[in-house]
Amino acid sequence: MDRIDAHLFLDMVRGGAARLGTGRKAVNDLNVFPIPDGDTGDNMYMTIFSGCKAAGNFLGEAARNVSDAMLMGARGNSGVILSRIFAGFAKGVEGVSEAGLEEFSKAMQSGVRESYLAVSEPVEGTILTVFREGVDAASGSNTLGEYLDRLVTAMEQSLEHTPELLDVLKKAGVVDSGGAGLLYIIEGMRAVFNGEAVQLIEESLPNASQAVDISAFTEDSVLEFGYCTEFLLRMQRSKVDLDSFDETVMSEWLASHGESLVFFRDGSIIKVHVHTHTPGDILNHCQQYGEYLTVKIENMTLQHHENHMDERFRKSRKAYGVVAVASGEGLVETFKELGADQVIEGGQTMNPPVQSFLDAFDRVNADTVFVLPDNSNILLTARQAAGMYKGSDIRVIPCKTLGEGYYALANLDTESGNPDEIEAVMTEAAGEVVTGLVSRAIRDSGDVREGEFVGISGKEIVSSGESPENALVSLAGALDAGSHDVILVFQGSGTAEPGQAVEALARQYPRSEVILKPGGQPVYEYIIVLF
Amino acid sequence: MLTLFTDTDTDITPAIAKEYGYRLISMPYSVDAKTVYPYVDFDEFDSRKFYDLLRSGVLPTTSAISTERYMEYFEPEFAAGNDILYVHFSRAMTNTFDAMDHAVAQLKAKYPGRSFHEIDTKGITTISYTIAREVGDLFKAGKSLTEVLEWAGNEVDRFAMYFFADDLKFFRRSGRVSGLAATMGTLIGIRPIIYMSAEGKMVSCGKEKGRIKAMEHLVQQVADLGDDFRSHRFVIGHTDAPELAREVGNLIRERFGDNFPIEYVVTNPTAGSHAGPNGVGVCFHAKHR
Repeated sequence: MDRIDAHLFLDMVRGGAARLGTGRKAVNDLNVFPIPDGDTGDNMYMTIFSGCKAAGNFLGEAARNVSDAMLMGARGNSGVILSRIFAGFAKGVEGVSEAGLEEFSKAMQSGVRESYLAVSEPVEGTILTVFREGVDAASGSNTLGEYLDRLVTAMEQSLEHTPELLDVLKKAGVVDSGGAGLLYIIEGMRAVFNGEAVQLIEESLPNASQAVDISAFTEDSVLEFGYCTEFLLRMQRSKVDLDSFDETVMSEWLASHGESLVFFRDGSIIKVHVHTHTPGDILNHCQQYGEYLTVKIENMTLQHHENHMDERFRKSRKAYGVVAVASGEGLVETFKELGADQVIEGGQTMNPPVQSFLDAFDRVNADTVFVLPDNSNILLTARQAAGMYKGSDIRVIPCKTLGEGYYALANLDTESGNPDEIEAVMTEAAGEVVTGLVSRAIRDSGDVREGEFVGISGKEIVSSGESPENALVSLAGALDAGSHDVILVFQGSGTAEPGQAVEALARQYPRSEVILKPGGQPVYEYIIVLF
Repeated sequence: MLTLFTDTDTDITPAIAKEYGYRLISMPYSVDAKTVYPYVDFDEFDSRKFYDLLRSGVLPTTSAISTERYMEYFEPEFAAGNDILYVHFSRAMTNTFDAMDHAVAQLKAKYPGRSFHEIDTKGITTISYTIAREVGDLFKAGKSLTEVLEWAGNEVDRFAMYFFADDLKFFRRSGRVSGLAATMGTLIGIRPIIYMSAEGKMVSCGKEKGRIKAMEHLVQQVADLGDDFRSHRFVIGHTDAPELAREVGNLIRERFGDNFPIEYVVTNPTAGSHAGPNGVGVCFHAKHR
């Protein structure tokens, strides 16, 4: 077969929709960018599905009708971009009755152009990249069949590569959802081109209220992601001069009042997809240009709770993961900010069981997992768990204090790709750290009276003081804080503000940087970490 | 006649622009869905207020300006029979210059006799500031456009900028620094050192423990790479960290003496949106970047 006519093209679109229909939920589960609201598959499916009802006698007309129908039905970021790919394709085959390789290839390139134009700030590592790289690689083919084969292969490769381009994907361990959705579609189109029958099952489309768990947004929820706001606006002659109207004024305004903007004009119709915290402002503003044909507003904090991951795209098997142990809200948060995948609550008075580690290893789901204990008992438990766990290569860094774990994690650099090397660097880093603890003495012991505060390093009491602050300052002296570049102090959960103690440290050790952080840890008024 | 343009991403303020006859293109940022055009929407940059906003957790966004806006800046000059030289921030950091290219192409078709020249400073904030000023100085000294363009061809790559950031979250969000370790999050007490590459991109080149080590790293870069920096502008830029900047300046003085001026410049809000507060950088004439 060397030509694609209207009939075949329409079948191919339906084939693409059918294939995406089977993978729709898998695509939903990949959705983390720009907002993890889990509906990319649904949105793309609804977008292409609306194009399936189109007809046409010659290719140019069919493609135009598909594009128009998709314009009306486009939903979501990837859905709108998908509709622009088809719009670009339609432009590329305008007036063409059937396409050979050359016309088809040219139209696909036009699709790439149009997709980029619609996005105010194109982000690589998304559907845009996957399609562009696919089309680039396919050009230069000798037949349409070869073109589609090369397109699919290159899109697969490009999709694999998306986590390298977009950090949020890498972190979540997934490939880009929009790119995956488009790959389904192109695979379906190729299958039809190769003679497979179309089986477009008109399954009931998910409607927003069914798919969404509204309990995810409670009376106390914070509007984190805002609203996905989409509309079609028909510009009105009574409001604007259609011939001279410059839509960039409108798109610039929208770009500065929202995020993830996709915007395009098709004749007198303007399609907008934008994320905003105040959709009312957007709608009121844009109404000065015309009247709304359709409007859709969804709270993006409501996640689509489903789990249908396609193993093919399940990248959450990461190369590296980190499990840390800490107790106290501030400390748990600190480790998470630093990049720990899982933080097990545990410390001096609370030794987590082996099972907590095994569960954490499961959740991290990485080839190599680095474990950062925070005392010597927990180190033993972690080693025991590591010995039992068969699913990953578990490397327990011999950290006996929270500070050692902190600094080991700060030195995690996976660039080398060699787990032995990474482990060695972290272990060495842990060895450079000195950690001290300030706690209240619970009984008389030596020179220390019950109720006084003591500074502890290792198992030794090295300082004491009448207040936690006195004990902290003298502990710093006993640990030779001035020989370290950073003096990091974590304040305990019940500890009063340290008053002058931090300034005293800064004055006493001018070559060191003194940093106070809320650690929220129990038992210890202060944890001092020197590195 | 030649009209000089630069943009607010180079840290050039209206007062300095006036000194050289630069016209200033305003590069916007947005906070809480409100877009602000520096020196259009305000007269003086209140850096403390802006960076305090970032300290309180606000993450501003920045956006590219459109072809039409470039036309509004450039067309009156072409219409008046002037040529244009635009000294701008790095092409490699934005897509706004695609819009500019469209504008220039259209204008050149409309005004075939006119010419448009550009100097890509291959950087942003302090380094662009330094180059824009040196360019201005050359014109003041009577150099011709040809001479200045030739100077830029040789010299832009010979201004180095090294800086450290306090909190990586701003950079991570914008994705504009390469080489940051995969899982490096908010590092307390550890500062990544970043430099402007010859391609005009920000590249991470290591990290240092504590404020002193980070500052010393910058000074060491001047020692290792510096070349004839005393006879060029030496600029210390900061994102609302004047004391820290002054400390770096003191270290520079201790090491290299006081027989050259050091200028202190606060980073413009648009570039600062990507860098976050409490960062300091040095820009100096160097063997290479």
